Amino acid sequence: MTKKFYAQALIEALTDMAEENPGFALIGRGILGHGGQAHFDKPLMERFGDRITDPPTSEGAVASMAIGAAMAGTRMFCHFGTASFTLEAVNQLVHEAGVAHSMSGGQIKVPLVFHMYHGLRRGGAGQHSSSPQSMYANNPGLQMIMPTTPRDAKGMLRAALKSDSPTLYIDHGALLGTEGEVPDDPYEVLLGKADIRREGSDISIVATSRAVLWAVEAAERLAAEGIDAEVVDPRSIVPLDTETIVASIRKTGRLVCVEEGYQMCSIGSEIAALAAERAMDALKAPVARVARPPVPVPFSPPLEEAMMPGPDRIVAAVKATLA
Amino acid sequence: MCEGGRAHHRGEVVPRRMIHYNGPINSRPRRTRGRRFSVGERMIAPPAAQDRAGILQCMILMRRFEEEVLRIAQDHPYVGRQHLHIGHEATGAAVVSRLTPDDLFHTTHRNHGYLIARGADPGRAFAEIMGRKDGLNGGRGGPWHLCDRASGFLSTSAMVGGSVGLAVGAGFGLKTQGSNAIAITHFGDGTLDEGICLEALNLASIFSLPVLFLCENNAKEGQRPSSMLAAKALRDLPEALQIRAIVVDGRDADAVAEGAKDAVAHIRGGAGPVFLQANLERWPGSHQTKPEFPTGVTDLSLAWEEDRIEGNHADWVRDHDGLRAFAKTLVEDGSLSRERVLEMDREVLELLAKAREFAEASPYPDPGSLMTGVFA
Repeated sequence: MTKKFYAQALIEALTDMAEENPGFALIGRGILGHGGQAHFDKPLMERFGDRITDPPTSEGAVASMAIGAAMAGTRMFCHFGTASFTLEAVNQLVHEAGVAHSMSGGQIKVPLVFHMYHGLRRGGAGQHSSSPQSMYANNPGLQMIMPTTPRDAKGMLRAALKSDSPTLYIDHGALLGTEGEVPDDPYEVLLGKADIRREGSDISIVATSRAVLWAVEAAERLAAEGIDAEVVDPRSIVPLDTETIVASIRKTGRLVCVEEGYQMCSIGSEIAALAAERAMDALKAPVARVARPPVPVPFSPPLEEAMMPGPDRIVAAVKATLA
Repeated sequence: MCEGGRAHHRGEVVPRRMIHYNGPINSRPRRTRGRRFSVGERMIAPPAAQDRAGILQCMILMRRFEEEVLRIAQDHPYVGRQHLHIGHEATGAAVVSRLTPDDLFHTTHRNHGYLIARGADPGRAFAEIMGRKDGLNGGRGGPWHLCDRASGFLSTSAMVGGSVGLAVGAGFGLKTQGSNAIAITHFGDGTLDEGICLEALNLASIFSLPVLFLCENNAKEGQRPSSMLAAKALRDLPEALQIRAIVVDGRDADAVAEGAKDAVAHIRGGAGPVFLQANLERWPGSHQTKPEFPTGVTDLSLAWEEDRIEGNHADWVRDHDGLRAFAKTLVEDGSLSRERVLEMDREVLELLAKAREFAEASPYPDPGSLMTGVFA
């Protein structure tokens, strides 16, 4: 067990797969973006750079290329860069990758992971800040993972790469520089199992992706004020670990959902519906959602900051729920 | 599997125009891989390269299959809108004759003919069109999405242009795997209006992928041109992207077979993708909301009794029906007797009658199975 950056853990999962499976192929360079962690892709590029195809700016056709190759039996990893760009390939993701196995009566498998960075990123404005997870979750047949620790990144990416179903890995650039203990040997983290990031008894905060970091920070601040919050990280949205989430809500009787996506029909809306369906009798207060307001993401820093569902907004929502 | 494909693969030279006809019907060996047999062990094999009689029988099979689909649609109104391959048989059968069993298809929804030509079980195909449990896709695909992996079909996309992008992926996968097989996508001319096609052609070209882009150019969609490109000719698009284009008369099976031979040799030789454009005249029933036979049920004796051709669409039957034309050619050049042509037709009809019986007897899927099979 060694302390590693999230970026290193992600690359380790890819390097392990490339080493084990000579047929494994990747599309898209710059897997770690352009920030301070970009250089951590070196172990992959140096040993397996010839497996990586650098495509032109044609997201729809690039997605098709990855899907068709996976259907033909090549295990694939396809990096899109910014999640906003995947909207150029929605038809391919939803109508080809997502439906292929079912619509063929089980004849066709799509062993493929699509990787993308979502979220507010400072200055992304209205076209480079997309968090499309709830939109994709609304379509059947696509697994969706959003690991938030280095350990989960390596283990869940490995599980997704070994799966015969297509997976969207909706990542966040702000996670790349986080550190944590990561086993050196290959291992899998089961998809569909939530993680209790902080145990608590007063309120459940169910957060996803980068919002988990904010939720943990908020919980620590609340603890100083005597409020004991539990932070639940679903880790994968499809499949969703409803048991763990419902058990936490039943335990605390209060729920705040946090995410970077827009609030309308959000992941938090789904969690809130789950609470209404399966934990209504245990709820002591109305459910709260902390998410983006329905405004195109503005460029100007104070405006962008104002829509961010960060620790301040989470603390305020928790206090309002407990009031 | 496809005998002709193997011969072609080995590079055996078969003199052009020589007739290879091996008995009354190309009986297939019992296929393994857990496949079902709906109509006994006698199936019609995919035609071999230069087996012109085999190509004709494959064309008859494709035509009669679609005619039966029309009857199914008449008998079962819920079956939905059909996209029949009638009028495209010369192109389909001739291209299939130049392929090997390992080659992979991504097709559009006008694909029934290709599946049947490649050896998909017609009984299971009818069952799928009727939404039955024994359908090729277990009833999950229906008439627009027939899929048969064992015959080399990876998907049938009814999203216009979808199959063009995916076939580039299949080509990418095959190249990655070091395979000698190629990927084929067939699509109509109207598909080229979709942006994904230009992107896909570009990827195939820059990565030199083994893909055959087979454009069945039937020129019309209803009363308007199906393609509304500003380009002067369809081939301008692939050629601008450095993709070799070959244009053939899609109604002439011999011409298509020659063009396909050339195209496949180019691709398999590692020289990159080819755009094969087969020009056709759209069958008058292609765009219909009610299942009808606008040109009548096919009468193969019209191949030699041309005086009897009549009706509103006599010109299509006389001048544009590739099936009638090829039967006429083979009879006139002495390759086949009239009796043999009619006998081949009877064999096909017998096979399809059993296939229909099988499909009608197949139950619907259990509603309790709804939630199964979403993930692999």
